[in-house]
Amino acid sequence: MTQDAATHSGTFAAGRALGLDHLKLGTWLFLASEVMFFGGLIAAFLHYKVNSPSPQAGLLSVPLVGANTFVLLTSSFTVVQGLAAIRRGKRGGLMAYLALTILLGAAFLAGQAYEFSSLYREGVTLQSSVFGSSFFTLTGFHGMHVFTGLVWASSTLLRAARGHYSAEDHGGVEVFGLYWHFVDIVWIVLFTIIYLV
Amino acid sequence: MNPRRTVTLLILTAVLIGLGVAVALTVNLMPEEASRQAQMVDGLFRGLMGVATVIFLGVEGALLYAVLRFRRRRGDETDGPAVHGNNALEAIWIAIPALIVIVISFASFRVLIASGASEPQPLVVEVVGRQFVWEFRYPEADVVSSELHLPLNRQVRFAISSDDVIHSLWIPVFRVKQDATPGRVAEMVITPTRAGRYPIRCAEFCGAAHTTMTSEVVVESAEEFAAWLQAQQVAGMSGGAGQAGRQLFTQYGCSACHALADAGARGTVGPSLDGIGTTAASRVPGLDARAYIEQSILDPHAFVAEGFPSGVMPPSFGERLSQEQLRALIDYLLSQ
Amino acid sequence: MSAEPVAAPTSNWRRYFGWNTDHKVIGVQYMVTTFLFFLLGGLLAVLIRTELARPGQDLVDGTQFNRLFTNHGSLMIFLWIIPVLAGFGNYLIPLMIGAKDMAFPRLNALSYWLIPPAGILMIVSFFVGAADTGWTAYVPLSISAPDGQTLWALSIVLLGVSSILGGINFIATVVTMRAEGLTFGRLPLFVWGMLATALLMVVATPVLSAGLVLVAMDRIAGTLFFSVGVGGDPILWQNLFWFYSHPAVYIMVLPAMGIVSEILPVFARKPIFGYKAIAASSMAIAILGMLVWAHHMFASGMDPRLRIPYMITSMIIAVPTGVKIFSWLGTIWDGKLRFTTPMLFALGFISMFLIGGITGIFLASIPVDLHVTDTYFVVAHLHFVLFGGSVSAVYAGLYYWFPKITGRMYDERLGKAHFWMNFIGTNLAYLPMFLVGLLGMPRRVADYAPEFTSLNFLASIGAFILAISTVPFLYNAIVSWATGPKAEANPWRARTLEWQTTSPPPAHNFPVPPHVTGGPYDYGEQAPSTSLAPAPAAGK
Ligand code: HEA
Ligand code: HEA
Ligand code: HEC
Ligand code: CUA
Ligand SMILES: [Cu+2]
Repeated sequence: MTQDAATHSGTFAAGRALGLDHLKLGTWLFLASEVMFFGGLIAAFLHYKVNSPSPQAGLLSVPLVGANTFVLLTSSFTVVQGLAAIRRGKRGGLMAYLALTILLGAAFLAGQAYEFSSLYREGVTLQSSVFGSSFFTLTGFHGMHVFTGLVWASSTLLRAARGHYSAEDHGGVEVFGLYWHFVDIVWIVLFTIIYLV
Repeated sequence: MNPRRTVTLLILTAVLIGLGVAVALTVNLMPEEASRQAQMVDGLFRGLMGVATVIFLGVEGALLYAVLRFRRRRGDETDGPAVHGNNALEAIWIAIPALIVIVISFASFRVLIASGASEPQPLVVEVVGRQFVWEFRYPEADVVSSELHLPLNRQVRFAISSDDVIHSLWIPVFRVKQDATPGRVAEMVITPTRAGRYPIRCAEFCGAAHTTMTSEVVVESAEEFAAWLQAQQVAGMSGGAGQAGRQLFTQYGCSACHALADAGARGTVGPSLDGIGTTAASRVPGLDARAYIEQSILDPHAFVAEGFPSGVMPPSFGERLSQEQLRALIDYLLSQ
Repeated sequence: MSAEPVAAPTSNWRRYFGWNTDHKVIGVQYMVTTFLFFLLGGLLAVLIRTELARPGQDLVDGTQFNRLFTNHGSLMIFLWIIPVLAGFGNYLIPLMIGAKDMAFPRLNALSYWLIPPAGILMIVSFFVGAADTGWTAYVPLSISAPDGQTLWALSIVLLGVSSILGGINFIATVVTMRAEGLTFGRLPLFVWGMLATALLMVVATPVLSAGLVLVAMDRIAGTLFFSVGVGGDPILWQNLFWFYSHPAVYIMVLPAMGIVSEILPVFARKPIFGYKAIAASSMAIAILGMLVWAHHMFASGMDPRLRIPYMITSMIIAVPTGVKIFSWLGTIWDGKLRFTTPMLFALGFISMFLIGGITGIFLASIPVDLHVTDTYFVVAHLHFVLFGGSVSAVYAGLYYWFPKITGRMYDERLGKAHFWMNFIGTNLAYLPMFLVGLLGMPRRVADYAPEFTSLNFLASIGAFILAISTVPFLYNAIVSWATGPKAEANPWRARTLEWQTTSPPPAHNFPVPPHVTGGPYDYGEQAPSTSLAPAPAAGK
């Protein structure tokens, strides 16, 4: 998509307004729609949490997931560092921080997989109660978004390795960063409503 | 605006409003009015019709006038006047509709509250929707029926629920409707004001035979109603085998789907059961008539009568009929 | 760079059948594909009306009938009216704002290419037991429906993704790619309508996707979201569904209103009356439209006190909608009206949408709704706004931009014949439905009481007239596209940007980037007849 941006500059409107280029605006809009998608799932989860409470909710392990949350939050920090590095023109720094992000994201997913399997062993499954259904659906969809982020981060890393991105041209990294922060923020919301309240 | 145009406009407005009032007072598009609620709803509806008439004729009239009056003259290639708007006019056509909808909302709110107002000594009727029959229970009298009977001029409080999917209890002459949602009990309040026999419809789409999910309501005097309740109680407890079976056949809604001359049933969803006592034996090899009818009721999908859809007859009768009732019903069908 | 317009390779019709990122090609792909789905949906409607022409069940059995109206509604909403209007947006927005293309051309092609597979899924579902639970797919009924219901849900999810991506593209394009001098205050009203629509697409559609995920999970993975016995709640689905599907009705009408706002000034030779108010009303309708969804659930047993706010917000939408209607009247008032086919359809839109809109107010009034909800009164309302309204506007737009899109003129006589058959057919088909609904006929039934026969028969006659009315249209469109007289760049002497380039427009729309100096509807002004001039630097 960065190429589109290039072909559209020139004499026609350059695709820049309100201090946003169209790529970033598009990303923000995409994230808005993602917020609404999670909003729907969250509404379902909360509805059942309030109206059909289940004892199975007591089986959740806050310390484990708290640690996992910390891992994911750290990965947001590494993305910021990576972006800062490429802004200063340091591609090596960008690559190191992206790799770290991927590692942290993978660790989060591993933690989630561990959590899921221990819950399954305790009898909390997709089919065990509306709590189980809504819990696994909601966190599962979030996990899928983390996974997508990992794929995206890997391809960004690959492009960086091939010599893309510079102090002037790093829109692709920025857009990935927006997505990754979004996934993080959604997790903070989920962590709060599922595990804390 | 010049005075002549102002006068014309005023006259036109007066004529429009006159027409609106005339429509509100004379046009009646609703079926019979058989409840206190219906009178209120119809009053509101007539008011809305009046308002709608004024808006409809006003806008369509202006449109038609413009179409006839402002057509381009042949050969005229020039543009019209460069008018971009008129703030005063625009303010008016924001303010007046806003006012109208506020009034309509308020009137609707009043009717809504008034139609739910409670009256002394209401009759409680529990309603259960099932694919594809209605069941009406009178908890005070311990009576169950597939036909609704109500005493005149006594408030009825329905407690409506469902056993399977969503249905909706609609009695057009009462102007009310309430969804029957599984897992919830919804309330609906009505005071019948006119004796007679009226249709009941399931209004929420509920599956293959939604079309035929109908019943009837009988509004009768308090004495007739009491007599009917009594008769139902007696029939439920004893009576000859035939009497009890026939009773169950209508009470459990078999009559909604099956024709059976003896019970006065004319349903067409399922096969006619006239003569079932003899045909039953020949349906499935190895099953005699009694066993076949029992299977047809308890597990209707085991054998599907030719030319009829599978999955339409509810498989839940086994849970709802007691052993004696089931036996009485089968005996009755065998005698047909 | 040569200022000579590059003639678009019209001869190369093959490009319409493959992956192409030109917004004009994509726009046409949208329109033609969705029109096929319209014909299919219409065919199902004709079957419905044939079954209902007389009482008794003679043509189809109960389950087949349920499949007919379910897929009729789903095709018409999700595969016809929403995407066809998106097709207009695709074709017109870059032209109207003086851009080369959309902001994300490849994403745009993707939005289109999600539609054929989604349509095929829906058609294929007929062979595995098509969805038969209405386009609203209420649970728990839809959980136990045959396999086709899963394909149906998948199809709607794909169409939702297409719609979301389209919406993102529209907003990004309008915000960042306008030509020099084209301020928001000079944006054509169709673009304003699309902007409001795109907002709804982005914000509301994902909620339906979330709901469909829950339904699909229940059907495939055995989750318990809608299993009543263990705490599942059917009303949750209704909330998720209508949270999208009410705003969706404005997705289906705001662009249509935009089309009407484009056509009236051109054929009245007058500026649009109250430009700002019309633009603002689109936004107001979009925002208010997010706050009314529960008016579809007045009879569901929700808390009575909760219903009141939804009634009030629903009614208030009459105000911004009224602004549009009255402003349109103001536009034609004192004009020099030319009754071309697009003008007739635009006027037809006003007269029929009005009926649908006013009856919407009846439905919003809770006590009245409790009588008429789930009856043919609702069916009549929805067809007056959607068929009398949106579809009329689509026809108006197809005729109006036909010369631009194809480079050829259509036949006026056939166009007018189409209009009159459509106008008479619509009223004949749907007016009786109001009455029959009030009198006691529920919707979604394959049979009815004998006393409703004559009204149903009239409705069926109207439907047949509508079916026949598509013949002159199709003939006109196909023959004129192939052999019609060549169209000038601006046959209507219109002032919006799309008419200031050749018909059909060249590959990148404009020979030089346009420079906008005035409003889109400055008819009757002294200014030159065109509101753009080449940017000084890029002249010959
Ligand atoms: C294009 C699509 C479209 C549009 C624009 C509308 C517009 C409106 N609709 Fe409609 N509606 C549908 C499509 C649409 N609807 C569909 C498809 C369904 C059925 C879904 C299903 O169950 O299958 C439905 C159902 C529906 C219901 C639920 C009925 C039920 O199932 O019980 C309700 C209830 O409030 C409603 C209300 C309204 C209102 C208040 C408007 C308003 O926006 C209308 C506003 C317009 C006007 C009022 C006219 C112009 C205004 C003036 C001239 C100003 C003066 C007027 C006054 C002061 C009144 N609609
Ligand atoms: C944009 C939306 C739209 C449009 C355009 C239409 C168009 C039509 N609709 Fe539809 N309708 C809906 C949206 C729409 N409808 C919705 C949402 C529902 C609710 C569904 C539900 O309850 O779930 C509904 C329900 C509905 C019902 C109620 C069904 C019921 O409740 O039981 C009826 C009944 O008459 C009906 C009739 C018609 C008719 C006669 C047309 C006509 O205007 C159609 C005219 C067009 C044609 C007739 C095409 C003609 C072409 C041919 C015949 C040739 C075919 C050839 C090939 C395929 C090669 N519709
Ligand atoms: C909603 C509709 C419906 C209801 C209610 C219903 N049935 Fe049926 N019934 C059917 C249909 C459809 C068939 C044929 C398909 C099948 O065999 O499952 C059928 C078949 C039968 C048969 C077999 C008939 C034959 O000719 O083989 C019997 C017996 C029967 N039903 C008895 C009953 C009884 C007794 C009741 C009430 C307690 C009842 N049904 C209620 C729809 C219904
Ligand atoms: Cu029960 Cu429809
Ligand atoms: Cu709505």
